[in-house]
Amino acid sequence: MDFYLPIAEVSVNAPLLVALGAAVGFISGLFGIGGGFLMTPVLVFLGIPPVVAVASEANHVAASSMSSVVSYGRRRAVDFRMGGVLAAGGAIGSLIGVELFRVLRLLGQADLVVSLSYLVFLGVIGGLMLTESLGAILRRRRGEGPKPRRDRRPPWLYGLPLKLRFPRSRLYISVIPPIALGVFVGVLSAIMGVGGGFILVPAMVYILRMPAGVVVGTSLFQIIITTSLTCVLQAGRNQTVDIVLATLLLIGGVLGAQLGAKASARFRAEELRALLGLIVLLVGLRMGLGLFVTPDEPFIMMSGAG
Amino acid sequence: MIAALPPPPSPPAVSAALTETHVRVTSGFRGARIVLYGAVFDPARRPSDVVVIVRGPQQPVRIARKTRVAGIWVNSRPVVFQGAPGFYMTASTRPLDTIAGFGTLRRLGAGIDHLAIDAPLEQRIETRYGVRDVVVSRLGADYLDWRRAVVRLKARAGLYDADSHGVRFVDNGLFRAEIDLPTGAPIGRYRAEIILFQDGQPVSRRVREMTVEKAGAERALYLFAHRRPWFYGLASVIIALSAGWAASVAFRRS
Repeated sequence: MDFYLPIAEVSVNAPLLVALGAAVGFISGLFGIGGGFLMTPVLVFLGIPPVVAVASEANHVAASSMSSVVSYGRRRAVDFRMGGVLAAGGAIGSLIGVELFRVLRLLGQADLVVSLSYLVFLGVIGGLMLTESLGAILRRRRGEGPKPRRDRRPPWLYGLPLKLRFPRSRLYISVIPPIALGVFVGVLSAIMGVGGGFILVPAMVYILRMPAGVVVGTSLFQIIITTSLTCVLQAGRNQTVDIVLATLLLIGGVLGAQLGAKASARFRAEELRALLGLIVLLVGLRMGLGLFVTPDEPFIMMSGAG
Repeated sequence: MIAALPPPPSPPAVSAALTETHVRVTSGFRGARIVLYGAVFDPARRPSDVVVIVRGPQQPVRIARKTRVAGIWVNSRPVVFQGAPGFYMTASTRPLDTIAGFGTLRRLGAGIDHLAIDAPLEQRIETRYGVRDVVVSRLGADYLDWRRAVVRLKARAGLYDADSHGVRFVDNGLFRAEIDLPTGAPIGRYRAEIILFQDGQPVSRRVREMTVEKAGAERALYLFAHRRPWFYGLASVIIALSAGWAASVAFRRS
């Protein structure tokens, strides 16, 4: 059953897209991430113009995250105040990101920046996650206890002004680091077509030192706000959101996310992190490969006359 | 009684019609095949060749070349080419260069090599060696590579095609040709030009038009996205969020 997408102007196989949405949704629910970093490359591979893939994927991430965040909220695992502060930064970030993406498209360098961002961010974060979690698994196998967590918080986090209390995270810190983090993730969300959970989650754990229990829920909450805004901005400024594509993806996505969230209870946290790290690393390397391999066709057509 | 003189030989003429003049792009659109029928009227029965040229709406093409910089393949500055139709197809009874001479084909724009594809923004006019008004392209000697790449990329997308035996005579003077529109065929007005050649000269010409337009839900959504982009964005976000919420509620009950 093929569907003609009105904005992307290509014909796609509808059941395949629903299945893909479900698979990525499952991973999203399993690991508590948006899953955009997986979906956007797959969509581009299927022949959907990258600008449309990036914009429509923001919509799909918003749906999957919404599907998971409700259950996290019920378990009181969302720090709404921290999420709100991050999202305020995220809003500024996506405004910048959407404009930046527009300029990069005009310069013809959007592809390069997207590939480089995938290679650098996914490669580094995937690699770090994999080594850290493999270390934890090995230590457990050898019967050693977990590495004592350094609870000393970096002094710069406390030295900054504009302090705010985050009761659910048991933190009393300046709002500047979370806002800066939000801006950074917002820019990435607009450029890479991702929610940014793969950066937010480690940053919340290792930089903001939030308790592990609220990290995933809060990250999902902030992702919903940032991706919703990105989606509206992309539609308003660039007219690149394909509602039919997004709907096909999110039908599978929201169901897959629920199943994934149920399945996640069966695995150990470090095993999940190792698996996620491996996936992130592989996607990053695959996207970066195109930068080094000699292309078959040295010329490429750029979408839109600018 | 005056003997009836034979009527003066009427000039040869060509006539043609398309089986479809409105192509509707709906959700099930996977390209279209349009048949062109025509007839050659020539009492003298001289050998005739028919050439069909179909041109889609004009749209500038932005193209970049990948170059290696410090081991990484990056895109060059994009170059805008004008004069490349969004769709271009020729069908003829014989290869075009055996039907007419270079000059004639060039004047008619018949054949991909004869399209006036150029990059006006890259050109400037200057005086060289005392010769005035010399057109110089900033693309330099690579200019032909660029132009060939435009054609190659379009052909790969099924948008450019040249079928040197695409016009077939099915009966005495009656011919047919097929126009294959791919899924990515641009929206807009198309012009099919049917030219009758005799002795290497165009002797008769007909023009038929057709339109490719989005229809039904596709059209409504496309217009919504372009006329009310902000509402469209809001609507898609609301669909996404309510679908996510509905799924979590449904799974909680089960």
